[in-house]
Amino acid sequence: MSLKLELDFQYKTSIEKLWSAITDSNKLAQWITENDFKPIVGHRFQFRHEPSEWWDGIVEGEVLVVDEPNRLSYTWATGEERHTVTLTLQDLGDGKVNLHLEQTGFSNVHGLEGAKHGWSAWANELPQVLEQ
Amino acid sequence: MNEYSPSRDVFDAIADPTRRHLIHLLAEADEMPLYELTAQFHMGRTAVSKHLTVLKEADLVRDRKVGRETRFRLNAAPLREVQDWVVFYSKYWNTNMLRLGQLLEEDEE
Repeated sequence: MSLKLELDFQYKTSIEKLWSAITDSNKLAQWITENDFKPIVGHRFQFRHEPSEWWDGIVEGEVLVVDEPNRLSYTWATGEERHTVTLTLQDLGDGKVNLHLEQTGFSNVHGLEGAKHGWSAWANELPQVLEQ
Repeated sequence: MNEYSPSRDVFDAIADPTRRHLIHLLAEADEMPLYELTAQFHMGRTAVSKHLTVLKEADLVRDRKVGRETRFRLNAAPLREVQDWVVFYSKYWNTNMLRLGQLLEEDEE
């Protein structure tokens, strides 16, 4: 499964402050949700979101990579889905930092196994297909 | 009212590039007979038929007999599930990252 979500965000801050915002449990609680995250490889944590009628809100994770202040990666599992989230920080100079997010995986969800070339591009074309 | 209950997961059905291509072909036409669909692939009729059967099991394709030929048409509704799923994660992060931006701004002040 090669559905890959890639997003970029620019912030007016320092790379150290951004690193702290994505790794410090108290700060994470302010922009994601209540959690017991620790930036230690192998640490297992939960993001506990407000449940809804179709989602229990619990995301289970395990820290995979801690490369301060450049890269943080963790597994991100909810329901039957097992994803990997990788955050890459890049100092753009001028007091700006880029945060690049990649969410990949889906290796054992919905019977999609292995890298299926073109799935992601295809997903982007879905709106046109649905319009017919 | 959908009285049809698919026996196959939509994600499973679209996991194969040939089936995704079939969906695109059918998206551009109202209805297509099997021989026209087969003409688009370097594979035999049987192989294309098998893929169409998988799509039918996921209710992505419906067919009907017209005289001696079988015609296929797309039923795109189940694809919404796929789209919603992709959109869900985009929305999740975009919303959170907006909050992160606000948090960092407060930090600067």
